[in-house]
Amino acid sequence: MAAAAMEVDLGNEYDSIQRKQSLYKSLDERFGIQKEMYKGQQYSQIYFARLHLMRTMLYSLIPNWKPHLPVCNVLGLEEGKECIIVGTIYKHMKLKPSILDEYSKERSATPLVKPHNFVSSDDYLVLEDESGRVKLCGALLLPSFFVTGIVVALHGKETGAGDFMVEDILEAGFPHQIERPLVSGEDKYVVFVSGLSVGGSSSNPLQFQLFIDHITGHLGDEKEQSFAAQIVQVVIAGNSVEYPRTLLNGQNLNAKDQSRLSEPIKELDILLTQIAAGIPLDIMPGPDDPANFSLPQQALHRCLFPGSSAFNTFRSCSNPHSFELDNVSFLGTSGQNIDDLERYSDANDKLEFMERTLRWRHLAPTAPNTLGCYPFTDRDPFFIETCPHVYFVGNQEKYQSRLIKGSEGHVVRLICIPRFVETGTAVVLNMRNLECHTLSFGTEFST
Amino acid sequence: MASSSDMKGFFKQKKKTAAGKGVGKSKANKTTSFKKPKNSASVGTDQVQPLALISHGSLDLQDDYDSNEEVLRQFDMSLAYGPCLGITRLDRWERAKALGLNPPKDVERLLRAEKVNAQCLWDGRI
Repeated sequence: MAAAAMEVDLGNEYDSIQRKQSLYKSLDERFGIQKEMYKGQQYSQIYFARLHLMRTMLYSLIPNWKPHLPVCNVLGLEEGKECIIVGTIYKHMKLKPSILDEYSKERSATPLVKPHNFVSSDDYLVLEDESGRVKLCGALLLPSFFVTGIVVALHGKETGAGDFMVEDILEAGFPHQIERPLVSGEDKYVVFVSGLSVGGSSSNPLQFQLFIDHITGHLGDEKEQSFAAQIVQVVIAGNSVEYPRTLLNGQNLNAKDQSRLSEPIKELDILLTQIAAGIPLDIMPGPDDPANFSLPQQALHRCLFPGSSAFNTFRSCSNPHSFELDNVSFLGTSGQNIDDLERYSDANDKLEFMERTLRWRHLAPTAPNTLGCYPFTDRDPFFIETCPHVYFVGNQEKYQSRLIKGSEGHVVRLICIPRFVETGTAVVLNMRNLECHTLSFGTEFST
Repeated sequence: MASSSDMKGFFKQKKKTAAGKGVGKSKANKTTSFKKPKNSASVGTDQVQPLALISHGSLDLQDDYDSNEEVLRQFDMSLAYGPCLGITRLDRWERAKALGLNPPKDVERLLRAEKVNAQCLWDGRI
């Protein structure tokens, strides 16, 4: 890794400050789709892989939960028989947009502006496994909490009406977490930023330049530079470029428009080269970036970054992105998984959605139902196998962070990274104690 | 689900041997990619069954359906190994093995060694 020595231009009584380094290990292999071959399969295959994977895991947890009850599949339900069933939740939502609405005979005056959130008070849940499905009822079950695609175990019994009355729910719970190594008192920082939207109409190049100058140590006095020298990694979580919408309507472009199309990424490359020259940099694709649409988004191609990719500190990564830094494990996305949860369920804040995905042990449960996803046949890469120490989500409205503690000594730092183009704010994490603070950059002075 | 629009589509029939057996009906293949259904549900009509066969007392209901295919169809229909559509039988078997479901070894042997249909029974029909 390249360590940048920063020379302080104040005479030769000061030594140059060395940047700290960390041992990096990428865990993104599961998010690669290079080995996958599309053979015409449908999404039933990934649902089967998910159900099998999670059901096997839940079966191992049931003996510690309610060992005295029989476990059966949906077809084996008998009226009045108290038992446990395990399956995939399906949430029926009447407000959820359906392509079939376009073909319905009654053309009611549906509003053109779609609601941001499709939750309705008459949503209901259904549990499904390979043998059948059963409608769920019970006061314990709040449909607005759940989404389609999660796998849970339910304790209850079948009613006379053929529904399943739920008495208790077992979620997968936090996966096992490897204990964080105790660092020797050294502060090492990771900087998260997302939503740069370079090339967009509202992006302020000066703001991001300020950010770059600050973290590379070109700004400030020795104290500021010493802080910057402790930054060991920069993670850019998606939406780094913004293309003019008028160019993306599928029409053939003339030469002038074509060069306009390549401007944002060129501008981004110039900016990233300045970072990569000094600090290890991970860049993830986001919903607006030139990458594939469905999750897992593949790494942005190196040819887009001729300047930055010359450095071995530059890493183009997938979305979701999983890595280890000095044995501290990180897991994060550019926001699509949590934003989709927000459309189909309710919570007090985004951090709650994030915590739910950890407890359900699944990064993107709404994929492939409402979130684009590759039709895997034999695995589900969004299943969370080990609990990360840091879980981040990019492109959010505002900065939010919480340290959650689990039952078996789990400690996870949840981070919502705000959009830089709107807030001028980046997030800094101290790996020693998992504390978080923000770095804000402004270019206007209020009088 | 027959893809052809007329009644003849229901009564597709395959000849057992390459050389014609006297009175054999020709097939109406609408598209080259469409595979003919394995079972002809055509008992009782002399329109479809070759008269020669009926006169010998046994109806030609076999097509390509033999004991190997029967074993593989049972594998297709088994709920434990997941959906069978959209995945080749061998891929489904390998997936079942990888997930620890212990699929029967006979099925693997048939799929690798013998000349059997690689796709599931619904392939091309749904």
